[in-house]
Amino acid sequence: MKYYVIGDEDTVLGFSLVGTQGSVATTTEQVQNALSKALENKEYGIIIITEDLANMIRPIVDRYLFTETFPLIVEIPNRFTRGKSKDLRALVNEAIGVSL
Amino acid sequence: MQKHVAPTRSNLLRLNDELKFASLGRDLLDQKRSILVVELLTLVDQAVDYQGRVDKALGKAEQSLQKSIMEMGRLKVANLFGAIDIRSSIRLSERKVMGVRLPQVETTYSGDGPFFSPEGITLSVEQSLVDYREALELMGRLSQLKVSIMRLAREVKKTIRKVNALEKIVIPDLRETVAFTRARIEESERENFILMKMVKDRMEKSSDQNQTRKE
Repeated sequence: MKYYVIGDEDTVLGFSLVGTQGSVATTTEQVQNALSKALENKEYGIIIITEDLANMIRPIVDRYLFTETFPLIVEIPNRFTRGKSKDLRALVNEAIGVSL
Repeated sequence: MQKHVAPTRSNLLRLNDELKFASLGRDLLDQKRSILVVELLTLVDQAVDYQGRVDKALGKAEQSLQKSIMEMGRLKVANLFGAIDIRSSIRLSERKVMGVRLPQVETTYSGDGPFFSPEGITLSVEQSLVDYREALELMGRLSQLKVSIMRLAREVKKTIRKVNALEKIVIPDLRETVAFTRARIEESERENFILMKMVKDRMEKSSDQNQTRKE
């Protein structure tokens, strides 16, 4: 299985360096198309998506995150939001409503 | 309280069984919850660690990529990257914790260097290659941890809800119904007893009268 990247131009370019296919997207529609294309192909085991793009299609991403076994979707902060990546503990608290 | 249950002995037996079953269920779910929470906590600790490493690795990789773009121009870099023959592949497997399916990821690379001719290329290209490779590998682990955490958290939430429903609603309700049923059965037993006593009393009285009349 392989990785697949959905992100801005530089992110996709960077990951193409290590043999990862990907598509560039900037609008909601493009992200949706890219994601459905990636989901159709069973070769892709992990889909890497930048945070701002994931926020555009939050419901779909969440569905895959919580219920589907594969593919896994992982969000990365993009260049412009670097350092502000969501704290994992906060994410868990959000998810279960219980503070750890 | 379950009002529609008739206060009979067979119902009392059934209710007692139900109560036992509910308590057992609550204990089991409680255990499940603590196991899941322990698992979740270890994973969160690991993931926080990995998150930091991934952020750092990605930052470094992007910086070196920027550098090579600045030195060589975007078009040339893109062309060069297209030609590089490294394939990354993932081995995905699963692990189960209390019925929750957690993924496990292993990243492997194939393809041997040299990947490009060193002519007309700056050092930063090599650097970004190494950096991105490292970042991707870390990211595989991070994605495994993140997805595991999300799934576990959801299961914990569900389990907590079930435990609460049993503890706060089902079990008190059953207890109350059992108490009510038992009280009603005892009450009707007492009534019956008194009734029998009264009948016996009357029968004795009437036989007494009969005897006195005979005499």
